[in-house]
Amino acid sequence: MSAMAYIAVSFLVVPLVIIIIINLIQREFAKKVCIYLACASAVIQMASSTAEFFMLSANHLHEYRFTLLWNMKEDAEHFGVTSLSLVVMFCIGFVSFISALIALRTIDKRKIYYVNLLMTLVLGMNGMVIVTDLFSLYVFLEIVGISSFVLIALFRSETGLEGAFKYLVMSALASMLILTGLSFIFMQTGSLLYTKIGPSILIAEDGSKQTLAYVALIFLISGFAVKTGAVPFHSWLPDAHQSADTAVSILLSGIVIKVAGIYSFIVLTDLFKNVPAIDTALAILGIASIITGALLALRQTHFKRIAAYSSVSQMGYILLGLSTGSTLGLVGVIAHVFNHATFKSTLFANAAALHEQTGTLDIDEMGGLQSRMPVTGFSNIAAFLSTAGIPPFAGFWSKLLIIMALWNRGLRVLAGIALFSSILTAAYFLRLQKKVFFGKLPDKYSDLKEIDGTVRFAEIILTVVIIAAGVCFPLALLYLKGRGIL
Amino acid sequence: MLSQISSFLNSGANIIWFMIVLPAVFGVAARFSGKRYAARLMISVLSAAVNLLFALSLYLSESFYVVIPFASHGLDIALNVNEYSAMFLAFAAAGFLVVSLYSVEFLKGESCAGLFMLYLNISIAMINGALLSDNLGIMLFFWEGLLCTLFGMLLINNRQNPKAAVKALVLSGTADLLLMLGIIITVYQAGTPYVSQMQKLPVTGIAGIGFVCMMLGAVGKAGSLPFHTWIPEAAGDAPTPFLAAFPGMLEKFLGIYLAVRIVTDIYDLRPGSGMSIAVMALGTLTIIVGVAMALIQKDMKRLLAYHAISQVGYMVLGIGTALPVGIIGGIFHMLNNTAYKSCLFMTAGSIERQTGTTDLRKIGGLAKHMPVTAACFIVSGLAIAGVPPFSGFFSKELVFDAALESNVVFYAGALLGAFMTAVSFLKMGRAAFAGELKLPENEKYGQEPGIKRAQEPNSRLVRESGFGMLLPMCALAVPSILFGVANTWPLDSLISPALEYTESYSGWPHSAVLVLISLVVLALAVCDHIYGSRKSGSAINAADHIHYAPVLRNIYAAAEKGWFDPYNWTMRIVGAWSALCMFIERGVAWFYDVAAVGAAKGAGNLLHRIDNGSLSLYLAAAVAGVGIIVVIFLAV
Repeated sequence: MSAMAYIAVSFLVVPLVIIIIINLIQREFAKKVCIYLACASAVIQMASSTAEFFMLSANHLHEYRFTLLWNMKEDAEHFGVTSLSLVVMFCIGFVSFISALIALRTIDKRKIYYVNLLMTLVLGMNGMVIVTDLFSLYVFLEIVGISSFVLIALFRSETGLEGAFKYLVMSALASMLILTGLSFIFMQTGSLLYTKIGPSILIAEDGSKQTLAYVALIFLISGFAVKTGAVPFHSWLPDAHQSADTAVSILLSGIVIKVAGIYSFIVLTDLFKNVPAIDTALAILGIASIITGALLALRQTHFKRIAAYSSVSQMGYILLGLSTGSTLGLVGVIAHVFNHATFKSTLFANAAALHEQTGTLDIDEMGGLQSRMPVTGFSNIAAFLSTAGIPPFAGFWSKLLIIMALWNRGLRVLAGIALFSSILTAAYFLRLQKKVFFGKLPDKYSDLKEIDGTVRFAEIILTVVIIAAGVCFPLALLYLKGRGIL
Repeated sequence: MLSQISSFLNSGANIIWFMIVLPAVFGVAARFSGKRYAARLMISVLSAAVNLLFALSLYLSESFYVVIPFASHGLDIALNVNEYSAMFLAFAAAGFLVVSLYSVEFLKGESCAGLFMLYLNISIAMINGALLSDNLGIMLFFWEGLLCTLFGMLLINNRQNPKAAVKALVLSGTADLLLMLGIIITVYQAGTPYVSQMQKLPVTGIAGIGFVCMMLGAVGKAGSLPFHTWIPEAAGDAPTPFLAAFPGMLEKFLGIYLAVRIVTDIYDLRPGSGMSIAVMALGTLTIIVGVAMALIQKDMKRLLAYHAISQVGYMVLGIGTALPVGIIGGIFHMLNNTAYKSCLFMTAGSIERQTGTTDLRKIGGLAKHMPVTAACFIVSGLAIAGVPPFSGFFSKELVFDAALESNVVFYAGALLGAFMTAVSFLKMGRAAFAGELKLPENEKYGQEPGIKRAQEPNSRLVRESGFGMLLPMCALAVPSILFGVANTWPLDSLISPALEYTESYSGWPHSAVLVLISLVVLALAVCDHIYGSRKSGSAINAADHIHYAPVLRNIYAAAEKGWFDPYNWTMRIVGAWSALCMFIERGVAWFYDVAAVGAAKGAGNLLHRIDNGSLSLYLAAAVAGVGIIVVIFLAV
């Protein structure tokens, strides 16, 4: 097989291999090295996805189809990578890498469980982006879901179990909705392959609307919205994020809601292009999420809850970008997926640092920590400015693209609201920054030390990535222009 | 030699260097003379003498015109040395010499002397520039330069309480702003900023506004209503040489110079027209208001300040008639006024130096001990009251003549002013100089900050002022007599040719009726004074019967409180405006600080109630969400 084939296959194989290795080797040794192995696998994923991306473009292919082990029949390659899915896989690798770095510091017990579950999660997510039919998408979605809530509940804290339970129930609702939707579509078309589904299934031969197909769409949208954390389906998100260990929160917020939720929406809008109802629904979900998330974040006092509501708000932006249906919007969405991964991970890395050093995540108890923990403080500022969309940080570009896409589509009011909500974003972030890092240092923290080791390393890498991505973003846009995509 | 000097000045930009920059340089040198009285004296005298020499040479030579390109088009430094401007230049230079000498002598030993001489010299530089300018824009530059020196001089010794300085700056500045507006309109209407190239503009429409603004600016500088209220306040705060120099002399030159220019060269003012009447009304009002306020003052310097204001009214009245006799009268009155007014201020300064105060209630009977001062006072007082054969009589008659020709109302007003002037001076003269010697007792010396006393209030030690102060005083008393008795020279040889009038107004006034009426008025004034002093018991209170007359009493009380002061009105309006702005500012701040934040917080709180951790609520919200999407699908 060619190099492309090897790499494509490795996306599914590497996590499995890691799981096998870890569970086969001697327990004590495994405990020491497992997370490092997880890091390694993440790095491999990042590298391979980049390589595959450039190979794909070099060969002028839009998509590369492949099979895993055997062919059921001819022309039945079930998996395919496109440039878009490769970018998503790069994000998956990146966030897993950061999560593993944090885990090196924050997770002391049950390391092997963590790594197993992490690998399963990665497997699930990778699978989601390379399948070519809806049912397989659903299967891998379930894998992702199950891994997530076990991860949340891993340390059996009271809040952890509560959060996991809520997520489980909401996820069950989502699964129910998605499955029903899929079955309706199956009833309609007899196949769930991407190639066989399109806007045509919405209209019967005589030109009237097919209610079943529309209902299927409704259910699919609702189900995926639960997974994304869009308002009003978002309620599980803060509880889940707050109660999980920080390394898990990074995964959840950084990539799971995006792959499980946003990528599914991308698939949906890709299949059902130019259906106005979908676009409108997404737009309304988006606006509601932006505003509700930001308003709710304003009154939280737990660091991770603020971050969780912030995620809800940012998912709203992404949904808005998707609702335009244009290429510009899609590019903005992918860019925002990546940027959100970076700044959310930064935020949670800081949360980990703060928790490690101060023992609490209640922002009312903190204050003036900038002087004692400068690296954490600065990376928080970088994350804040990126989220608020301030140049030259990366978040500015993705927000700009989304707003431009909205404007080009004539949705001027929505663009205005999105722009205006940046103020709300800045407000809750500024509140966070002020309460935690600026202000007066309480006496009990007077000899606090900065976090060291892998967490600090993660913070620094993330800050560098945020700034570098912001500065070099125009290069990426030029590249896309060269490829003819923009 | 003078012609050599003038041709030297004519070449290149020398005129600027030597008439404008040189005095400023002398001023800087004087500043650094510090405590060295002799050095300062030399520098000041040298500066003034050189200036006078140059001015005379310019006057006695041919007219010439110098243009130096300066800024963009429209702002060339164009200096026009013609007979009219050179005459004023010479007047100013002569006055400057006298005042310089007096100032150095008066401020001998004061720490502020050098600073004062600096401002004085820069002022004369500015005045030279303004008088010479042909370009209205450049003239404005020099004109406004005087604001700085004015402010500076009033701030000397008054840093902590600059009320008078601020008031002077605001009022003078407003007058200058009006002048600027007037100049802009004029230049726009005439199409050129050069006065020598202007045709006479008609005084209607927009040009009328320009005329009004320019006139107000010009006479406001001279000290007329409504820009007059700073002068009495300055009388309290500033050193006396300032009073002798500025309100007494230099500002009059500048203001009247421009006023006459406006009426003769720039605008075509017709006798009897509406504008002419307006200007005359302003002049008459100034006369009456000024002297009415002067009547009730008890402090010599304040009293003299109000008289200065009143006398400007005569000049404005004369110019406003737009008749040749009026204009000549106005300029002649200005010339005389500078002589006797400055002399009067100098006598006040002399008294102040010797007794420590100029409050008329505290001093008296100084004639025996200060004979020369008293003599100068008498001469100047007679001149200002308009007693023949002193100079003031002749100039006043010319103005009366013009006023009568225009309108009898204004004539009556001017006569009333003359009456009250005479009463006022009788009172002041008798209170200060006649009778028994009276000196302030147990008074803390140094009523004016910075003026220190070396002497105790002892009748043995009250003596005449030093030679250095007496010389300028006497020098100024001389013109009061000379220009009266031999008025052919100033009128026919100086002023009329400058304005290119051919009729002769010198000699005794033509109309005997006018003379008779004036003499009657003077006699009435004497009677009134005798009546008043008998009634109230002393000379100082001789005007009290007017002060406390039924209606007048209320008006006077209001005036003393400052109700008629345009400066106070302006400050009240400014205060109201800033209060309004503050109100708006608070509104905006409320919106950003309270309203917006509260709205966001309130909305957040509202939503929080829904997101309270109850799983059933979550599921309900999710199902509701499905419903919403159904609705969307149905709607689209």
